[in-house]
Amino acid sequence: MFGYVRPVVPELKCKDFDLYKATYCGLCRTLRKRYGIFAPLFLNYDFTFLALLLHEAEPRLAFSMGRCHANPFRKCEMCIESDSLNAAADESIILTYWKLRDSISDDTGWRGLSSRFFALILKPAYQKAARRSPNFDALTQTCLSDLARMERDNCPSLDRPADAFARILQGAALEEPAPARRRVLEELFYHLGRWIYLLDAWDDVQADLSAGNYNPIAARFGDAGGEENLTATLNHSLNLMRSAFQLGEFGCRSALIENILYLGLPLIQRAVFDGSWGELKKQRIWSNKR
Amino acid sequence: MRDPYTVLGVDPSASDDEVKKAYRELARKYHPDNYQNNPLADLAEEKMKEINEAYDAVTKQRGGGAASSGPQASGAYYQQQQQYGGGNPTYARVRSCINAGDIDTAERLLGEVPNRTGEWYFLAGSIAYRRGWLDEAAQNYSIACQMEPGNLEYRQALSLMRQGGQAYRSANFSGGMDTLDCCTTMMCLNCLCGGGRC
Repeated sequence: MFGYVRPVVPELKCKDFDLYKATYCGLCRTLRKRYGIFAPLFLNYDFTFLALLLHEAEPRLAFSMGRCHANPFRKCEMCIESDSLNAAADESIILTYWKLRDSISDDTGWRGLSSRFFALILKPAYQKAARRSPNFDALTQTCLSDLARMERDNCPSLDRPADAFARILQGAALEEPAPARRRVLEELFYHLGRWIYLLDAWDDVQADLSAGNYNPIAARFGDAGGEENLTATLNHSLNLMRSAFQLGEFGCRSALIENILYLGLPLIQRAVFDGSWGELKKQRIWSNKR
Repeated sequence: MRDPYTVLGVDPSASDDEVKKAYRELARKYHPDNYQNNPLADLAEEKMKEINEAYDAVTKQRGGGAASSGPQASGAYYQQQQQYGGGNPTYARVRSCINAGDIDTAERLLGEVPNRTGEWYFLAGSIAYRRGWLDEAAQNYSIACQMEPGNLEYRQALSLMRQGGQAYRSANFSGGMDTLDCCTTMMCLNCLCGGGRC
């Protein structure tokens, strides 16, 4: 999706860094096993966070050794296969596919062409994923068509288009059997989706204005900015995510998730506001080197 | 009931002070202020009840000496139910629907009210808030405050929106990360102790 959701690595304990990497590698392996060799191309940090949150709470990380997909000579620790990792993989594929479809209709020229190409590669995987998670796929389509309608109507509300997007992520918790945990995850995912949508809208506001595209922030605040209001509402979503997180059980993943919620997301938010996000985005998080 | 020491997250060999400290930290985490009008407020309330019971059980086990001097175990942080009196009976029903989480009914009832008072906008804001529509909630609260500037409830709601809400923050994350930190006292304490990066 966007790559906004990442931990602040220097603040992580070594074991939590290993846990993050094991989740990333575990999701990569699951994608490859379930959806073939191209699927891991679409792996990113956002989906890793999804997998972290969906994972069953366990007191200590259970991992196995496996070969890296990108470099088969290297062996690394991976989370063992589980239902939650499978669900995260299915949902990642569906979200990526629809994001690509969306960019095909939005972008022209080179970017549109590359989206077309990737959507074509991903289509068989998407069809499989949609069969495995029909509810999530249906929800995604409904919400995206709501969103498209609001974009067409130049909807002046900040919350309504964000709501359509947030409900998609909220749907990631759809299959969670325990009701209390499902509610916690739904609230967390909802505000994660809201936060991502609005931050992305802020990041794009200049480009959208010059291209004449719909942008919820421009539609709500006009050219005058509205930076202060937006910061407050983004921080509020962060706080609601944190309050929800405190009510859930995440076992050994708690400290890592906390790092992302309390340090990672605010850092990215500041970077998007002060314009340093473009640089930050290119940084890889697997080494401490800049 | 779960083992009270597990609930409090301390070892049974912990000292009375350690138990009290763990209890206070948990009470701060699940404090009703962090879950005002939150769709998960009931879960936070359950947690609060659980830790209060656990703390009571531990102090009782240990001879009850600490119970009276401790942070008034049950209900110390627990009761924050507000009383709403008088006014339009529909508004009272809307409030109880919101509290019960029945947002659609609340919205329908509110839509049937013909003239829009400050309370109408406040309740519209609360409904938006429960949906996670924070910007519309802030707009409605702000109209409510303009119409009835003297109303404390509306002003509190609006000021929470302006500061971007609040959530529990452990000591690890309290050092100068946000300009609008949830807990001013913690920051002050940090400064006094020379800790953190204030």
